[in-house]
Amino acid sequence: MPHRLEIALRSDLRDPEGETIGKKARDYFGIRLDSVRVVHVLTLDADLSKKQLDRIKDEIFTNPVTQVASYRPLPIPFDWVIWVGYRPGVRDNPGSTAVEAIEDVLGQVFKAEQSVYTSKRYCLSGPRLTRPEAERIAAELLANDIIQQWKLFSRETWDEEIGIGWILPKVVLDHEPTVTIIPIDSDAALEAISRKRNLALNPKDIPIIRAYFLSAQVRAERAAKGLSDPTDVEIEYISQARSDHCNHNTFRGLFRYTDLSTGKKEVVDNLFKTCIEAPTLSLMQKKPWVKSVLWDNAGVGRFNDKFHYVITGETHNSPSNMEAYGGALTGIVGIYRDPMGTGKGSKLIMGSYGYCVGHRDYNGDLRPRLHPRRLLDGVIEGVRDGGNKSGIPTPFGQVFFHPGYMGKCLVFVTALGLMPREVHGTPGEKKTITPGDLVIMCGGRVGKDGIHGVTASSESFSEHTPAGHVQIGDPYTQKKMHDFLLEARDAGLIRFITDNGGGGLSSSVGESARFSGGCKIELEKVPLKYAGLDQWEIWVSESQERMTVAVRPEDLERFLALSRKHAVESTVIGRYTDTGKLHITYEDKTCAYVDLDLLTSGFPQWTFDAEWIPPRHRGLVEPVLKEPGNLSALLFDLVARPNICSKEWIARQYDHEVQGTSILKPLVGRERDVPGDAAVIRPDLESREGLAFAQALLPTYSQIDAHAMTACVIDEAVRRVLAVGGTLDHMGGVDNFCWPDIRYHPLENPDGKFKAAQLVRSCKALKEMCLAFEIPLLSGKDSMYVDGHLAGRYGETHKVSALETLQFSATSVIDDVDKCVTMDAKVPGDLVYAVGVTRDELGASEYYAHLGYIGLNVPRVTPRDLIPVYRALEQTISEGLAASVHGIYRGGLGVHLALCAMAGCLGMEIDLRKVPVDGAARNDTILFSESAGRFILTVDPGNRAAFEAHFGGLPHACIGRILPETAFKVLGLDGRIRLEADVLDLKAAWKRPFGGLI
Amino acid sequence: MSRVRVLVLTGYGLNCDHETAYAFTLAGGDAERVHINDLIDGSVSIGTYQILAFVGGFSWGDDHGAGVIQAVRMGTHLGDALIEFIEKGGVVIGICNGFQTLVNLGLLPGFGHDYRSRLVALVGNDCGNFRDDWVTLKVNPRSPCVFTRDLNCLELPVRHGEGKFYAEPGTLVRLIENEQVVLRYALSDGSPAQGRFPENPNGSLEDIAGVCDATGRVFGLMPHPEAYNHPGNHPQWTYFKELGKRKRAPLHPPFPMGTALFKNAVDFFTR
Repeated sequence: MPHRLEIALRSDLRDPEGETIGKKARDYFGIRLDSVRVVHVLTLDADLSKKQLDRIKDEIFTNPVTQVASYRPLPIPFDWVIWVGYRPGVRDNPGSTAVEAIEDVLGQVFKAEQSVYTSKRYCLSGPRLTRPEAERIAAELLANDIIQQWKLFSRETWDEEIGIGWILPKVVLDHEPTVTIIPIDSDAALEAISRKRNLALNPKDIPIIRAYFLSAQVRAERAAKGLSDPTDVEIEYISQARSDHCNHNTFRGLFRYTDLSTGKKEVVDNLFKTCIEAPTLSLMQKKPWVKSVLWDNAGVGRFNDKFHYVITGETHNSPSNMEAYGGALTGIVGIYRDPMGTGKGSKLIMGSYGYCVGHRDYNGDLRPRLHPRRLLDGVIEGVRDGGNKSGIPTPFGQVFFHPGYMGKCLVFVTALGLMPREVHGTPGEKKTITPGDLVIMCGGRVGKDGIHGVTASSESFSEHTPAGHVQIGDPYTQKKMHDFLLEARDAGLIRFITDNGGGGLSSSVGESARFSGGCKIELEKVPLKYAGLDQWEIWVSESQERMTVAVRPEDLERFLALSRKHAVESTVIGRYTDTGKLHITYEDKTCAYVDLDLLTSGFPQWTFDAEWIPPRHRGLVEPVLKEPGNLSALLFDLVARPNICSKEWIARQYDHEVQGTSILKPLVGRERDVPGDAAVIRPDLESREGLAFAQALLPTYSQIDAHAMTACVIDEAVRRVLAVGGTLDHMGGVDNFCWPDIRYHPLENPDGKFKAAQLVRSCKALKEMCLAFEIPLLSGKDSMYVDGHLAGRYGETHKVSALETLQFSATSVIDDVDKCVTMDAKVPGDLVYAVGVTRDELGASEYYAHLGYIGLNVPRVTPRDLIPVYRALEQTISEGLAASVHGIYRGGLGVHLALCAMAGCLGMEIDLRKVPVDGAARNDTILFSESAGRFILTVDPGNRAAFEAHFGGLPHACIGRILPETAFKVLGLDGRIRLEADVLDLKAAWKRPFGGLI
Repeated sequence: MSRVRVLVLTGYGLNCDHETAYAFTLAGGDAERVHINDLIDGSVSIGTYQILAFVGGFSWGDDHGAGVIQAVRMGTHLGDALIEFIEKGGVVIGICNGFQTLVNLGLLPGFGHDYRSRLVALVGNDCGNFRDDWVTLKVNPRSPCVFTRDLNCLELPVRHGEGKFYAEPGTLVRLIENEQVVLRYALSDGSPAQGRFPENPNGSLEDIAGVCDATGRVFGLMPHPEAYNHPGNHPQWTYFKELGKRKRAPLHPPFPMGTALFKNAVDFFTR
């Protein structure tokens, strides 16, 4: 019989969790509540004696100083009660740790059918609170029906004895695991199966798959194993491996590109090979610091004599769009497994985030699944728990608001790790497998999680159907595994390691088996969360927190002993072989037997038509705009725009100094509140070397040209890293593409060919910039299909596509962190320099967006002109000649001068006549143009000559000085003061939009 | 003379073990990271160490109150051994999650050698969220705490969601009268924060950021001294560096690094 323990804070103590809910109800829905008290509920589904129950209550779950608890409903006053619990099969992390604690205290182990489920009961008080209002709080604030269930009780329906009642979200599958044979009589038959099972097989792949399984030799070999037509395990394996997600069919596709304005045609065969792989390979020849790229889970670069660093990044858009918290949490925890699975394994040292969402205050007619505000809240919290609970600092991140992300949000997550150069005398970044090595699965167990999302969502929910398609990451389990694997690595026990992400075992074992040339897997050995999974489900499940490791048989005992010490589950599930076959059995019966090289041969390339229409031909023009008379008011409004204003509330939720490595934090300056250009950490505590890291996003430029967008994004990321003390000698890059669907369809995607052309142009810009700045691409990922269909006012639906978006990450190694610089103005009397040329490039700028325009003159990047400037800057910083350095980014010179002043809490006097310009002939153009390649520096007057010597012949000028008081004054081209403000007032305006958020 | 041996706990979601061990090493100690299970199964004995560090992190995910399950596990398996360690003269520090664990174990406040009573708590921040920021701390010069000898003010980062120090009024008075309140959140000039946010980042009663037991050898604090192990960890180090270059101020921020606390603990055994 189950038992239900309710725990709450004593009534005389503040309940901050409840207060936060009350505040959100007021801010988001205008619903006023007198109080919200939260009751934590543990439902113990186990036979326990009265004595045991009392020990559980008193020794574990009740804090005698602050809490009250009872196995009967706690008598807490309310007008409405909302109960929220998980659906069956959703990862209940607190439930699992409760089981651990109870087992420890009672000294007995829970049986398979026993469990603990956690849920919450919210006691809402507000005498005028109506049922629809309470329902709104439940559905739009507290519960997400994809993963949670909720119930509402009024005072009348509440029974003081029964309370919330008995809800056990137990998974009961009552299903005999079955292998199904897939008929391949015809292409149509297989296509029908593909549709029915949501395999998403490409029609062009189908004949290849059939031909393989119909070939006489294959059939003879299969007959010997008791197989004929393919099994569902095999077809699911092929479908996973051939998916765009795993195989990058779009980037490896053939693009027929036409410029419609000139008629000029071009064929680009394989964007990945031509624009990413080729430049990186050629740069590797020149850059011995590049240690391992293009094959492993993450790229590897040299850090110092003892360590290499590891980096990769990806997105988790679709799941976050459905369930923001779980999706983002799973995303960050998932990307952290990539460095863990790079080389022989890396320690995680840093993470970062990038969120692209609709406007927080959206109040239009479109109805996304989650309002952008709720979505952003959830995403922020997911990455917070994923990063903080993993003990990994999150010192950098960015947010971009645009209505195009209402269709689908973007959640970029990036992970950096550190590995020893040598592990037991072998290079840390290398790994291999010998036939005979054991296949070991470590970490979490396997359930129906993430088995092609779409299938699960088409099933109707019953009381015990697992909500499999949206997952909740478990950073606690993964942190234990991380610590265990590093110890196993250092003991020389790991030969090969890779993570289980998309595709699960199918992908991790399938890919690692290529290193030995085959494998034999016994599927029944895989530990499951609950019985009743089909064999194919075990094989492709994306249950989180798992790594696949190759271990020599003679090391097995030591490996497992270490695993036990760290309380991590590790299981031998098979052996690597050299048979050339992927051979899977279930209770000794073969359920898959395919050639490993099937996937690498013979499948047709995807093809795309790409049609470019230059912006002028699309009707884009510069707006006819006379110069504003009130530039001060304009600056106040610009700094308060969502994409410029302070987002301190996000950065403060992220632990950015765990590991004790922090050198430059996300927020800098006298009041620690202005975002710095880049983060710097000192991951090897015994050395002076630092790792600088920054990212950039400029999606609005794609409204004019994705080539310019890409070039500017890369230039910005590079400048960010240079601004803190990085160097072009060591500049690593990571590209993360997020693109709307580029497959043309006359009705569903009429501008698909244009979006395809934008992708081609973006990739070309990537190649040009990487070659020019000499940035090898250490890692990268692409996420296509960033589109959504949103319901509108009249029951119609609207397709909403994201702007073509590239996030670019840049890394550099700094030889001595003592040389690092921040962007805050520091000393009154210092000279303010502008470096680089300001042009009439307001196209797609923040200024134009503020006035409702796009424009035409998007910023262009000319690396040939910029590199000498960047080199001079490196010298200046390295000689300690700059008191502060800041890049000029979104918003332009005016906004970024203001940010330097705000960070230093000092005033500034600027003369626009001195700014180096080329064609920018108006005050507003100079102040708000977003031309690339520019910096603001402040310099001790005593260093003037030394500083200027470095910039001889390069565009630079002293444009003003730092004032002791907080006045911000700008002299216009007519020599008169055209803009005047108090820095502290500007700062208040910049902080106001999100200032109330915590 | 042999070096002072420091045991730094690891495992089960703890995550400040590396830098805590590093900070003790800088302080001259011989620090070793030891998995909680190695202590429980007896393969490592705390009796051979002089200092025991409960470090920051999210032990067992902290899903049922921060430090709660760690305290249950340590208390169940090592309760007596921990008290014996303290009674024999050992020094214990609990940082953040470690502090939460010490109060849940009852090792703090440790009135009159009672190391079993839970009398104080660290509860959810008043601001309602996890918060990472630097704070100024005023050291109580009359406290017996061995970690804070000769220190006056400190600047350290806080990084927690549950750091509000709470106790019944009688307990608070006793803590204060016994001079067991070691650290208080303060304004930048060292005067009491008096509950002001964000200087007092969590709403702690009496601005309490750290307390010790009656002997001064058991110390718990929410801020992270191990994360200030290098001058570059300070949020304004670039500013001070610039002023220093112009001979307007010393090169470094005004207060000592967090490692000073660890040095005091190591020196406690060596001098």
